Amino acid sequence: MRKLSLAAIGMYLSILAAFSQSTKPADTAYKNRTLTFEEANFASSYYSQNGNNSAVTGGIGSEKLADLSNSIELKLHKWDRKSRKHTFDFELGVDHYTSASSDMIDLKANSSASHADTRVYPSASWTVENETKGRSFGLGGSMSFEFDYQSFGGHLDFSQKTKDKSGEFSAKLFTYLDNLKLIYPIELRTTTTTARHEEYATTGRNTFGSSFSYSQIINERLQVAFLLDLISQSGYLGLPFHRVYFTDNSLKVENLPGNRFKLPLGFRANYFLGDNLILRSYYRYYMDDWGLRSHTFNLETVIKLSPFFSATPFYRYYTQSAVNYFAAYQAHKTTDQYYTSNYDLSEFASQMFGMGIRLTPPSGIFGIEHFSMLELRYGHYTKNNGMNSDIVSLNLRFK
Amino acid sequence: MLLNNILETGIRKRSVKLMGNRFEISVVGDDPILSDLHIDAAITEIKRIETMLTTYSPDSQTNRINENAGIAPIKVDREVFDLVARSLQISNLTQGAFDITYGSIDKSLWNFDQNMTVLPDAKTARQQVRLINYHNVILDKNACTVFLHEKGMRIGFGGIGKGYAAERAKMVLQQRGVTSGIVNASGDMAVWGYQPGGGNWTIGIANPDAAQYPFSHLDITDMAIATSGNYEKFVMIDGKKYSHTIDPKTGLPVTGIKSVTIMAPNAEIADALTTPVMIMGIRAGMDLVRQLKYIACIIIDDNNRVFTSKNIRLA
Repeated sequence: MRKLSLAAIGMYLSILAAFSQSTKPADTAYKNRTLTFEEANFASSYYSQNGNNSAVTGGIGSEKLADLSNSIELKLHKWDRKSRKHTFDFELGVDHYTSASSDMIDLKANSSASHADTRVYPSASWTVENETKGRSFGLGGSMSFEFDYQSFGGHLDFSQKTKDKSGEFSAKLFTYLDNLKLIYPIELRTTTTTARHEEYATTGRNTFGSSFSYSQIINERLQVAFLLDLISQSGYLGLPFHRVYFTDNSLKVENLPGNRFKLPLGFRANYFLGDNLILRSYYRYYMDDWGLRSHTFNLETVIKLSPFFSATPFYRYYTQSAVNYFAAYQAHKTTDQYYTSNYDLSEFASQMFGMGIRLTPPSGIFGIEHFSMLELRYGHYTKNNGMNSDIVSLNLRFK
Repeated sequence: MLLNNILETGIRKRSVKLMGNRFEISVVGDDPILSDLHIDAAITEIKRIETMLTTYSPDSQTNRINENAGIAPIKVDREVFDLVARSLQISNLTQGAFDITYGSIDKSLWNFDQNMTVLPDAKTARQQVRLINYHNVILDKNACTVFLHEKGMRIGFGGIGKGYAAERAKMVLQQRGVTSGIVNASGDMAVWGYQPGGGNWTIGIANPDAAQYPFSHLDITDMAIATSGNYEKFVMIDGKKYSHTIDPKTGLPVTGIKSVTIMAPNAEIADALTTPVMIMGIRAGMDLVRQLKYIACIIIDDNNRVFTSKNIRLA
């Protein structure tokens, strides 16, 4: 057992106080008891003991238990409440942006004593808003450091409402300058890159982008928004642990061009046709200079047939073309300059349509007082690789 | 927004209120429409479990077991039977600090509430918990029945059901081919695979003094994590903080610990172990975790001291 102390402010941490024992833990009626071998290992046989191993764990991946000894690292945050309020945006849950080091590449590297994967997220931002002019301006910067990844980021934001406040234009310029270590799958490492962290090759990746949007309330029934992003990336854009198998069965890590320009363009419109009918539509087009083009189209209608009954038919369509460098398993030639077998970059199209209905009669469903809500949703999904599925979900509420 | 939604592999997320908790399901995929379908399927599974385990609907299997306490064994689905059996296993492990018969508590003697100024005497408190005893849950594996031996006994899955549902939802997603995602049942999480871009998932642990902010975070994959704390409901009596959790052995509210975080191979175990560790206290709780393979633990006590099991490194 290890312990240390969080100071009264709740955030600042004092390691010095870690071993102070001014107060003993409160005692309880529970005694220290030596577990049997089976008890100590109960987690590894938890489901199989009851014979429903496959039903619960699905038999996929998660059944191999990671040995926790020294593999979990708890990173304590060291900033105060005030500055966090202004400058840090770290919600409880998942940090979606910065990627952490990857355990499954080489477990040895992770458990070695020299591995100190400390991550610091200092970031600062400042915003000034002039309400009378309907204008705001902000800027900010951020840094992120960890064992295999360093990133510097900066952004400038500007927004301006129209005179009558019915429209708003916003623009954002941003950049991320990343530096990453290349941790290849262990079988693809050369001898010089296996031994120690310091010897991993490093590479850079720079992202420059701008994001523009304009939203407008056209009248009390119609709202529209236009969205445009321009993003340019350069440097290492693949992932060092994506393997590619060639026609001659040789194996390499995927290799992709060092530049990528991305351009997503979107349009959104919501139309309120009276109180009882809402149309929501969305279209976006995406292109990049690797040859990927995609279209997304989404239409949803909410029809309130009565205060207690509504129906929502919907339709969604998505299609993308493959990048120029994609080929399937063992389909790349060894002479190819660029190659990837990542199916995220392959060609496919999918569509889905369906409808939901929702009933909430005041006297209860079928006149049953406690049965207050019934929601039924059906969707039919098809992907052009032949995959089809029907989804029905039923939601009942009893009071 | 647009950036995340439109480019390459992304995360699709949805929050729904199920089993009285907020479930947030995050799925990594290249096709947002398909990801939405996967999320629909996970939600359907959680709803199925809710219907099976709820004590709010009179004809649920749980309620039929309770209504027949002291009367007759009740035949249940194998799934419910197994869940009860696993619950008893955790009761054994935790010397009864975890007990699905916790609902047998007699609230007519005294009831923990925010306005409480004195604790009940030890005898009254013990009287209140006299029916809590997992040994009186009688299972018949062949007949697939559950029998509560004493009249007035009740079982409930409040301490394990949320984790079980998260685990099942994860299973449904994995069976549909989702290789990376998070099922977050109000802080009890099943985490697998990687973030888009390839890193482990970063999970924050709530600061018990400011629960909306994490005091620390860790990067994990293929693991579950659950936290339980007294920071939501507690009462001060004579300058001491008492949590709404009642020790089933004494009938008195638990004191000394602000929060317990457990990491385990699956969300059901993580969920089920947080409360008993809090009840057992730091000494006996840590002694238990120390011996358990594949389980790690972080405890914050009332003096803001952080205790971790040896398998956790601090950075």
